[in-house]
Amino acid sequence: MLFDNLAEILLKGGVAPRHVRRYVAELREHLEDLTEQQRHAGYNQEDAALRARALLGDDDELAAAMLEQKQFRSFIARAPWAVFIPLPPIIALLASRLIFGSLAQIGGHYGFLANHAPLPPLWYQVLATDVTAILNLFTMPLTAALFVALAARQRLKPIWPLAATLLLLVLFIHSDATFAPSDPEHGIVLGFAPIFEKPAQEVMLDHWPLVTAQYLLTLVPWLWLLTRRQMTHSKL
Amino acid sequence: MAEDNSFMSGLPELAILRLLQDQEMYGYEIVQAIAARTAQALSPGEGVIYPLLHGLEKAGALKSRRKTVAGRSRVYYSLTVKGARRLSTLTSRWSDLNGAVQALMGGALAVR
Repeated sequence: MLFDNLAEILLKGGVAPRHVRRYVAELREHLEDLTEQQRHAGYNQEDAALRARALLGDDDELAAAMLEQKQFRSFIARAPWAVFIPLPPIIALLASRLIFGSLAQIGGHYGFLANHAPLPPLWYQVLATDVTAILNLFTMPLTAALFVALAARQRLKPIWPLAATLLLLVLFIHSDATFAPSDPEHGIVLGFAPIFEKPAQEVMLDHWPLVTAQYLLTLVPWLWLLTRRQMTHSKL
Repeated sequence: MAEDNSFMSGLPELAILRLLQDQEMYGYEIVQAIAARTAQALSPGEGVIYPLLHGLEKAGALKSRRKTVAGRSRVYYSLTVKGARRLSTLTSRWSDLNGAVQALMGGALAVR
């Protein structure tokens, strides 16, 4: 496609995707005007298009003009460490807390989580089981996917989304909902915690198939990026 | 010999601001107008005008809007109050420089 190469140069150079899109859109419109001008000058469509493209400037020239303007560089390109190191664990933790908090709110509202409360009704047990399963299977993989998408969009080196993914795997969050009819104090126990907390480690040992699935799913986005990059390189 | 552009820096900006003082224009129109009004002496690269326009817009000197005219949708640029002030500053700077160069050339001719 026209200007694809220019867009790649600009994105790799750190220009924010929205500025690249706008530049390319205006260049396309400019090229149409130039082609029309050449047609009026008597050239056939093919020659007019070639002459117009030459008049517009080659990709290197067009890229250099944009790259000179440092103000169009994205924050993520200027300081990837500020995005890929602190944000993934924060986002995963906030998402878990928000969703799990909502579940606890519902349980609290109906008094299911109070001391000496009886086993909650089936609908709440199903809801709690489903929410924890969704949290376990989607929160970390989706957070990893978000940072892989950010890196792919700005053509950053794969090391940055890898750092984000590894951080997520180290600070691994696992959620659990246990129904204990025999427990005189709690009919249900809800909880989520990072891996380095001791109770979480015990729960995760019990849930090792789910934990393994969580780890593998979290790695999938980065592996996809790596495969995509290798395919692009082999095409070139 | 490679052309030293340091003297020319600021000229495309001045030309753009001056043109947009009269009416709103789109990129292609601006490039053609600069080339026509300076008898091709100042003709910025066709495509490289856009980073300059975007930079001026970001600095608040220009504003833009997408407008469809005769079935063609284009981004039109116009001058802001800040841009008008910038034009005034640049105009006065270039007038001073022009005067200085004229004086220098006159002096050089007198020596000859």
